Amino acid sequence: MGWVKSPIHKRAHQNKRYNTATMLQFKLVLLGDSSVGKSSIVHRFVKDSFDEFRESTIGAAFLSQTIKLEKHPDVTIKFEIWDTAGQERYKSLAPMYYRNANAALIVYDVTQPGSLVKAQSWVEELKNKVGDQDLVICLAGNKVDICDEDATAREVQREDAQLYAQEQGLLFYETSAKTGAGVSAIFQEIGERVYQKKGMEVPSSTQARKPLNVELQRPSTNDSTSCCS
Amino acid sequence: MMGAERRTSMAERRPSTLNQSSFSMERRASSVVVPHLAGIEDPLPDTTPDKVDVVVVGTGLVESILAAALAWQGSNVLHIDSNSYYGDTSATLTIDQLKQWVQDVNQGSLKCYENAKLHISSVVGRGSYKSRDFGIDLSPKILFAKSDLLSILLKSRVHQYLEFQSLSSFHTYENDSFERLTNTKQEIFTNPSLPLMTKRSLMKFIKFVLDWENQQEVWASYRDKPITSFLVNKFKLERAQVYELIFSIGLCYNIDVKTPEALQRIRRYLTSFDVYGPFPVLYSKYGGPGELSQGFCRSAAVAGATYKLNETLVSYDPESKTAIFGDGSRVTVTEKVVAAPTQCPKNSRNVPEQMFEVQRLTCVVDKPCLEWFGEGEYAAVVVFPPGSLKSGNRQAVQALIMGAGSDVCPAGSSVWYLTSTESGPRGEMDLDAAFGALEESIIRESSADIENDSGILEVDTSGHFTLNSVKLGQSFKEHISGESIQVLVKLYYKQLTSTPPFEVVDPSIFDVNDPADGVHKKLIPGASDNGVLYTALPSAEISYDEAVTAARVLFQRIVGSDDDFFDLDFEDEDDTDQMNESAVVDDEDDRMDIGLNAEMSVEPVEFAGEMEI
Ligand SMILES: Nc1nc2c(ncn2[C@@H]2O[C@H](COP(=O)(O)OP(=O)(O)O)[C@@H](O)[C@H]2O)c(=O)[nH]1
Ligand SMILES: [Mg+2]
Repeated sequence: MGWVKSPIHKRAHQNKRYNTATMLQFKLVLLGDSSVGKSSIVHRFVKDSFDEFRESTIGAAFLSQTIKLEKHPDVTIKFEIWDTAGQERYKSLAPMYYRNANAALIVYDVTQPGSLVKAQSWVEELKNKVGDQDLVICLAGNKVDICDEDATAREVQREDAQLYAQEQGLLFYETSAKTGAGVSAIFQEIGERVYQKKGMEVPSSTQARKPLNVELQRPSTNDSTSCCS
Repeated sequence: MMGAERRTSMAERRPSTLNQSSFSMERRASSVVVPHLAGIEDPLPDTTPDKVDVVVVGTGLVESILAAALAWQGSNVLHIDSNSYYGDTSATLTIDQLKQWVQDVNQGSLKCYENAKLHISSVVGRGSYKSRDFGIDLSPKILFAKSDLLSILLKSRVHQYLEFQSLSSFHTYENDSFERLTNTKQEIFTNPSLPLMTKRSLMKFIKFVLDWENQQEVWASYRDKPITSFLVNKFKLERAQVYELIFSIGLCYNIDVKTPEALQRIRRYLTSFDVYGPFPVLYSKYGGPGELSQGFCRSAAVAGATYKLNETLVSYDPESKTAIFGDGSRVTVTEKVVAAPTQCPKNSRNVPEQMFEVQRLTCVVDKPCLEWFGEGEYAAVVVFPPGSLKSGNRQAVQALIMGAGSDVCPAGSSVWYLTSTESGPRGEMDLDAAFGALEESIIRESSADIENDSGILEVDTSGHFTLNSVKLGQSFKEHISGESIQVLVKLYYKQLTSTPPFEVVDPSIFDVNDPADGVHKKLIPGASDNGVLYTALPSAEISYDEAVTAARVLFQRIVGSDDDFFDLDFEDEDDTDQMNESAVVDDEDDRMDIGLNAEMSVEPVEFAGEMEI
């Protein structure tokens, strides 16, 4: 995470319109058992993009979505969203997946009995892998649209999940990727929390030797990097 | 599988993709077009697939590149690993995982490894040295800036999962001191210790080697002769330059390396220089091949491959095309079962002989070793040419030093990876001698007050101060210190491989169980692995160069052609191009952007501040 100069700013700069808005970039990982609706939630979130911020997907790597914080209109948050790519199915997520995550969205299915217990084991897994660094964790009970149609379909009570979330200090929402209910609210809330946790931090100027990363897509010469025989 | 029909590519198999993106198809008619929201996979099937095209066993780098290439090509891939972690022989391990790994090697449950010895200081595991603060590579590697793997990382966009840093410091150990490599034309010209004649000869050779393949007349008569005779006879180079060219620039282990092979390796270094900046080599943060394996596996998963860790192959029956796994499940395999020799099933009888030894000594020491790194860098290569060590080494020992800035060890420490191709007890003696030389050197260099010795700090032509490590080594030669360094972790092991050091993977090694002429080898009665295609394990080679070649050869065996090997075209590529273009227009902006991005990924939570534009 950090302050990134976005293409938007670049354009503003070129148009000589000065803009003090800033953009924060966060890594958000999805967790939860397969078929609870993780990918559907991301789909809903990424496709409902705001007009003024062009959605940018990064092909096979991860998805990005940019939002404006409602409580801080001059702050935009760019989520770099890592979906599990199915590797959660046999508990085969790699350490790379969790690394440097700023937020995690742990999803369960309100119509699946025992689904909350599984979400709880994902919370444990996450804490094991990432440690107790300040990570914003949000619990989401998905597929509430099914309960709205047929109340008997509900297998996980809202109160139970909420109580657990409170105990663990997690954000909590019920959502429907199908109707969109709760989806944008979740990302607003996560964005707000991460901003509060990280965005206000004073930059440390004491770091003297900071290695610079090399951006592979930017060779320094005009030489093509493609050299496959 | 010669004569096998070329299998249809993903684009051809998925008409919907083809239609939606006809504009991209026009641009590059043959490539696989990746749909816009490819980061989100389709809903998973309810059950484990009961039929797949390819089963890949082991998640080492070669297998992972292969799985990603196959998955993007459109093959249905099941990729398993018997370990609880990704990477197999390429893994990056925490201290706890390393302890278990050593136990497994010594109990014989990990194949292709022998003789693992591990010492861990009692301070590790508590306080500031947590197990997961370490990322120890089983096969440490460096990435040349101009190489097949680098272009595949870009094409597949796996580079977006990874962070890379530069490595410009290559040291040659001679006469008890380190000499930093004179590796740029400018440095050759300005190096006061080189006689004019030598400079001329070197420049002439560098000019030649960049285009050596087209100048057969120069080297044809040396085709089967060692590079030393070629360099001495043809270019009148002195011993010191010959050694630098072969061992530090070419990164060869052996003085007898043949001329064409050595020329290829010397050029690799020179053409990689200045691609991204004044350095030839990159490495990935948090670990090397282990990180890359995870990246390629994730890429394969995005393209639809199924992943199962903690799963073993029990047997494969080529007649019924059925593979049986440790958890009792079975799948029908339409094409091939590919396995790493380390993960062959019990009662296997077809594993190729692993006749080459790679001996390694990996240490974590409580010194940051910044003295050896270039400005703003956190890694270095130190080469010990034959005869330079107290052990009288017959072959070179290579050392890759990784500092804490690469996030593979806690602050204040560094990891020393030493590798030898010498077999038997001599190998270990060479490794010990090289470790001793490194230890002596770092004690001398870090205990002295460098700034008080003006002869050691030099101003280079661009006005930067540089450390003259030649003088550094010499002036401290007399400095005897009772100090010693604290070794946090010390690990010896021997890895076996079928790949000879520094030879590009020879396709024939895959013939053992899958003859290229199509004549099926007789099935061995009772064997659990008839028809299994075995991969090549990593050799002692320090670069990634062999991995892509091996994966490509295997891909061709399975698919029938390598036309679709990472022939990918992402639909949103235009966006990226556009951004790059605007960046090029505004040069200053561009540079700033790079800097900020770098900051961002290095210090994910600490860098914050109001930025006004
Ligand atoms: N009714 C309903 N179905 C959903 C919802 N979210 C996901 N699904 C369905 O649940 C299945 C699994 O969804 P998916 O997003 O692939 O789950 P994932 O494995 O967690 O990524 C799919 O068939 C979706 O259409 C929801 O909010 N309501
Ligand atoms: Mg999913």
